[in-house]
Amino acid sequence: MTFKISSADPLGRFLGLVASLIVVAGCGGSGSKVTPTPTPTPPSGDNVLAVDINLGPNGDYVNGLFTSVQVCAPGSTTNCVTIPDVLVDTGSYGFRVLSSALGSLSLPSVTDLSGNAVQECVQYVSLAYNWGPVVQADLHLSGETASSASIQVISESPTYPVPSSCLVLGTNGAVDYNTVSALGANGILGVGALPQDCGSDCAEASPTTPMYYSCPNGNCQITSVPTSTTKGQLWNPVALFSQDNNGVLISLPTVPAGGQATASGSLIFGIGTQSNNAIGSAQIYATTPDQYFTTTYNGVSYRESFIDSGSNALNFLDSTTLGNIECSDYTGFYCPASTLNFNVTNTGINGTTGPVSFSIANADLLFQNLFAAYNDLGGDSGTTPSTQYFDFGIPFFYGRNVFVGIAGATVPNGASAPNGYWAY
Amino acid sequence: MKIMLGVSLILALHAAPAWAVLGEYESSVSLDRQYMRGEDRVTTGQGYKLHQITSPNGAVVSEYISPQGRVFAVSWRGPFIPNLQQLLGSYITQVQQAAQTQTRRRGGPLVVRANDFVFVSGGHMRAFHGSAYVPSLFPQNVSAEVVR
Repeated sequence: MTFKISSADPLGRFLGLVASLIVVAGCGGSGSKVTPTPTPTPPSGDNVLAVDINLGPNGDYVNGLFTSVQVCAPGSTTNCVTIPDVLVDTGSYGFRVLSSALGSLSLPSVTDLSGNAVQECVQYVSLAYNWGPVVQADLHLSGETASSASIQVISESPTYPVPSSCLVLGTNGAVDYNTVSALGANGILGVGALPQDCGSDCAEASPTTPMYYSCPNGNCQITSVPTSTTKGQLWNPVALFSQDNNGVLISLPTVPAGGQATASGSLIFGIGTQSNNAIGSAQIYATTPDQYFTTTYNGVSYRESFIDSGSNALNFLDSTTLGNIECSDYTGFYCPASTLNFNVTNTGINGTTGPVSFSIANADLLFQNLFAAYNDLGGDSGTTPSTQYFDFGIPFFYGRNVFVGIAGATVPNGASAPNGYWAY
Repeated sequence: MKIMLGVSLILALHAAPAWAVLGEYESSVSLDRQYMRGEDRVTTGQGYKLHQITSPNGAVVSEYISPQGRVFAVSWRGPFIPNLQQLLGSYITQVQQAAQTQTRRRGGPLVVRANDFVFVSGGHMRAFHGSAYVPSLFPQNVSAEVVR
């Protein structure tokens, strides 16, 4: 990890702050929402997990949403370890943890039909990957429990070498997320809108998806792993709870345009199951089978948009379209000369439609503050005809209550959302 | 039959050399076509030819061939990312470099816009998509709009 944090001295921080305030003041109205949702008082209950935006274990993660997860050997209440700095990710499914964070906790293997220990390779859109064995554990999240859940142990020094069929960049050019320095977290808590991380593709007799492997005689091959709730694929832990299992609510406070050092909020389990997770006036945006909805901007419809707490920016359009505003040093982020304001409209497949407004400030100037929480951080989605989407990352969550409804679960208000939904 | 098709696709996506490569000639496709029969759909668009292989799980890899027989664009869509080293050939080094240097941006797409190479990896777990193309190899009167 090579981050340029050169202005650590107080004067540098002060000048950076001043610079970003000037930019913001020059534009006015930055960071305002058309339909603000009042930030509720911090909820409490056995379905509430505290979450924080902070710099993470490496001290350099911006807009990372972290929590702690207690991991226990199946059936044990004493053979446990609490994992801090776990990233909360609505863009993935299942719990993954670095072996270094588990320490000496021993967990039983998940095996395939031939009795071989199952290994998993997970791809990310950034083209990095995780590799390591699938094991069973009890996960305790606040008062909720996912019993005998399949989880992935991400191994820095794996028993088996990662199969080339998973390495999309080739063996020599591969980028792994198998260490805390690379992942920027001790693990990932995937609580998106699907129950499993692969589904029927990986449960076929001869799967084509290069995700689950077993390695008899050290030779790793793709293997069939069922979608069963135990001893199978990784499940979104929420879908394994005995209650409050139809989705989550993420509630984060408003963050000022220039950002702030940290932010604290809540990950609340269940939707409409308790007094603290009522959907209230939030609108339900039902998604396609790929968990997409449509974002309309300047009369153009971007039909593969999604909301993702694992994305640390608002990723949309491209630098060329927006006037060559890509940062010269922080690859992928936007660095406009002055703050830009955007008004878009989101539409679910159930017909729900509503406006979203956001602002994009200069990432170079923002980062000089050395904060963790930035409301106005944007980046390139490389929008081309084949990839038309807005990726509403963490900045979208600030000042909102965002619900993630799991596909196939009960939907409040009798709405139709068989593929899952977002509500806000 | 379904199993056989699955095996064919794995070979096409992960073994080398099994599929045409961005910037190179279509030559290997004809061999693959026999191997992939029933899966490789070939269509002719306005000024280019399109190969589309579809796997049993819905993953699609598309290859765009110019009248000169060069692969000027590729795209993919489905529950996994195909072997990009194979699809992109010598262009992979630019993507490798971008993936290795994009450290502060997290969980978002990977985009490369070089002088004569455009690459995008997007989507999320279980629903990946992306494309890559070489602007200088585009046939006349064909725009990037066709790459889907």
